Amino acid sequence: MDPILSARHIRKSYGAFVALRDISLDIPRGERHALIGPNGAGKSTFIACVAGQLSGVEGQMLFKDENVTALQPAALARRGIGRTFQISRAFLQMSVLENMMAAHVIASGRWASLSRAIYAERAERACAMLDTVGLADRARDRVADLSLGDRKRLEFGMALVGEPDLLLLDEPTAGMSIKERHALMEMVAARVDAEGRTLIFVEHDIDVVMKIAQRVTVMVRGAVLAAGTPAEIKANDEVQAVYLGGGH
Amino acid sequence: MTDPRILWAQVARAAVNWKLIAPLLIAVEALNWLAPASTSTMLTEIAILALFAASLNLLMSFGHMVSFGHAAYFGLGAYGFTLAVVRAGLPPEAALLAGPMVAALGGLIFGALCVRLTEIYFAMLTLACAQITYTVLFQWYDFTGGDTGITGFMTPRLGLSEAGYASFALWTVVLAVLALWVIVKSPLGLMIRAVGQDRARAEALGLGARKVQLTAFVIAAFFAGIAGTLYAVLHGSAFPDYAGLSLTLDGLIMVVLGGLNSFAGGIWGAVIYQLLSTFVPKVIHEWELVLGFVLLGICLAMPHGFVGLLKRLGLGRKGGK
Repeated sequence: MDPILSARHIRKSYGAFVALRDISLDIPRGERHALIGPNGAGKSTFIACVAGQLSGVEGQMLFKDENVTALQPAALARRGIGRTFQISRAFLQMSVLENMMAAHVIASGRWASLSRAIYAERAERACAMLDTVGLADRARDRVADLSLGDRKRLEFGMALVGEPDLLLLDEPTAGMSIKERHALMEMVAARVDAEGRTLIFVEHDIDVVMKIAQRVTVMVRGAVLAAGTPAEIKANDEVQAVYLGGGH
Repeated sequence: MTDPRILWAQVARAAVNWKLIAPLLIAVEALNWLAPASTSTMLTEIAILALFAASLNLLMSFGHMVSFGHAAYFGLGAYGFTLAVVRAGLPPEAALLAGPMVAALGGLIFGALCVRLTEIYFAMLTLACAQITYTVLFQWYDFTGGDTGITGFMTPRLGLSEAGYASFALWTVVLAVLALWVIVKSPLGLMIRAVGQDRARAEALGLGARKVQLTAFVIAAFFAGIAGTLYAVLHGSAFPDYAGLSLTLDGLIMVVLGGLNSFAGGIWGAVIYQLLSTFVPKVIHEWELVLGFVLLGICLAMPHGFVGLLKRLGLGRKGGK
């Protein structure tokens, strides 16, 4: 196994509350990996740790064999970690196309440029990405006017612009209908497979998880309860008792 | 499907509306040369404060950074110019560049401190930096002239007539505002807006938010410095009050009056504020009372300020910024 990400004894606490207790996890390159578990299990906290958004994280996070534990989010993004947020974050007062163009400007590294040449260079790719995520006809609309599902789609497209090696999606289908969830995640899976990216996603829809993930880690109260293929997780009695509840 | 470049041009709306602006500028120039000298001086002050407010607006409307100390850079511009003449012995024409450069340097030093924090803490740091600037200018008698300022070191207005200097100031401000427009519509401007709207999202995409904010801060300080320099030349003097809290508050009022979240907001706000402060006191002694009611009305009924009103009347640029 060639892990793109190795978490070693990750621990994060907020005062007396321990959000993550001694998490160790290897994510192989090119894998679609789901993090599941009840609310408060620490899934989003783990994603935030990987993305460098939390301070005071104990343990070691290795990304492509480099210790990135203390790096800031922007530095991690430049090294190849892209992400979307649990509560969708985009530039709300900009249009959809401006959001995508902003992602392109950042990915190009030409953020301080006064020349508008990059706009002409990247317009076609920005529009193509909007088409990929199904927002081509919303290009002129303000993001604040989009539905939650459309914002999530936009965020995913923006995260892809930087061509990340590791993509972290925190509840990417929250707020979507069942049909939309499957459609989005099938598109995500096809895209990451085609481009050879690694995917870690947090998801509550178990049907989506079983269909999309190649491996699953179940977290409960800040610790790993079980890890394995979807079939192994489904057959795990402890997981059934604590999280799946026998319904699957 | 629309061509992506055309679609981007429609979304970015970077074209300057010369059909509206050119006649306006010609009208102002005509008024300047036809009206009495006092009108030219008033137009000069309006133009200078419009640039000051536009520079503050870059921080507030685009970077979402509320500065309680922007007058510091106006003051540094004024003193940068004045001290370059008085202490360095430069001819005033050559010293014109010194003011904005000193202001930008001040912006770089203070900005590097301020962008370490966000929101109200950022605002309080800008206030602290401005108070330090004001106190140095006020107390350092040997160098800055202290509370009495520096006067009589040059012929006001570079020896030009009131109308001549008004014309010089007006076109300098027009060029400066155009430069700000170019910045706002550039990739850098897009980044300033991105960090202002969602810092975490910008960082997650790989953008160093502090670098962007510091760049915006220095740019805003530079343009405030141009305004301060023009003001010092207009009066042939520099006083600590140029860097005082009062001018910062005037700037904040101008931006809100004109309309937050719009490029033209600061400029319109400065025009309205200066007109109110010039003409209302001739009718009512307590003109601040009128200003207070105007601000109340704006905040309650027109949160997007004068520009928002223009849009509602179908006279402004539709959509965002």
